[in-house]
Amino acid sequence: MPRISMIRKLRIAGGLVIVGLLVELISLYWNNPLAFMLFLSLGGGLVALGILFFLWSLVSAPDQKSS
Amino acid sequence: MDIKTDIAVAVILLTIALICVIVFAPGITVGRTGKILAFLAVFILPALSTSIGYTNHLERAESTSFCLSCHEMEDHGKSLHVDDPAYIPAAHFQYRRVNVEHACYDCHSDYTMFGGVKNKLRGLRHIYIHYLGNIPKPQDIKLYNGPYDSRNCLHCHLGARSFEEGAVHNLEAGQMESIKSGKLTCMTSGCHDVTHNVKDVATWKYWPSTEKP
Repeated sequence: MPRISMIRKLRIAGGLVIVGLLVELISLYWNNPLAFMLFLSLGGGLVALGILFFLWSLVSAPDQKSS
Repeated sequence: MDIKTDIAVAVILLTIALICVIVFAPGITVGRTGKILAFLAVFILPALSTSIGYTNHLERAESTSFCLSCHEMEDHGKSLHVDDPAYIPAAHFQYRRVNVEHACYDCHSDYTMFGGVKNKLRGLRHIYIHYLGNIPKPQDIKLYNGPYDSRNCLHCHLGARSFEEGAVHNLEAGQMESIKSGKLTCMTSGCHDVTHNVKDVATWKYWPSTEKP
């Protein structure tokens, strides 16, 4: 059960990072001040959220020896 | 697209591909190698991609085309081609005293995101006004709240013989010190006060005359 939960967390984190990276990718093809804002706020925000969620899932995972 | 953008795009695509492997085949994360791969794909590479992309955006923001991508800056861009050496931006641009690719940034190196916190906030306000506010006429646009900071001039001219030995710069005792300390500014002192002057756009003649700016 904890393993399934971990996989779900990994998928959520991965999904957030992928969406963030896609936003960053789109912004790179656009030479405009709004592209920079899009990159930093939405793209960077989603990537940061995904990374933090991933790290949180690692530290919150139950100890395998005790389970 | 330059090579730096290509690298940023390649790293982002590689990261997305690796994350897809982790997300669609999570079983591989059971082993030690899989765990390292997951850490690389969901932490190290996204951070690296964002860092490369951020640097890329910052470099691009220094380009003349970036500044002129907002139509309210069109007349400021045209002022670089005025056929009159009294126009400081035109003289710098046409005589290649600034890098043509970074013409705006070379003289406005403390502007918006490249300046302090207040400048960054003003940059955000500019974006807000551009998309949601009432855009002023080009002649009513004030690039700075206060006077233009002479340090933008001095980071190139300081130490240059033409500046240091310029007769007008040394007209009175202590004048050079006042210029260097910022007490006497290059533009508000009445010496170099013809800058973009976009209100005169209708009367401009351009150099080269055959090329439309």
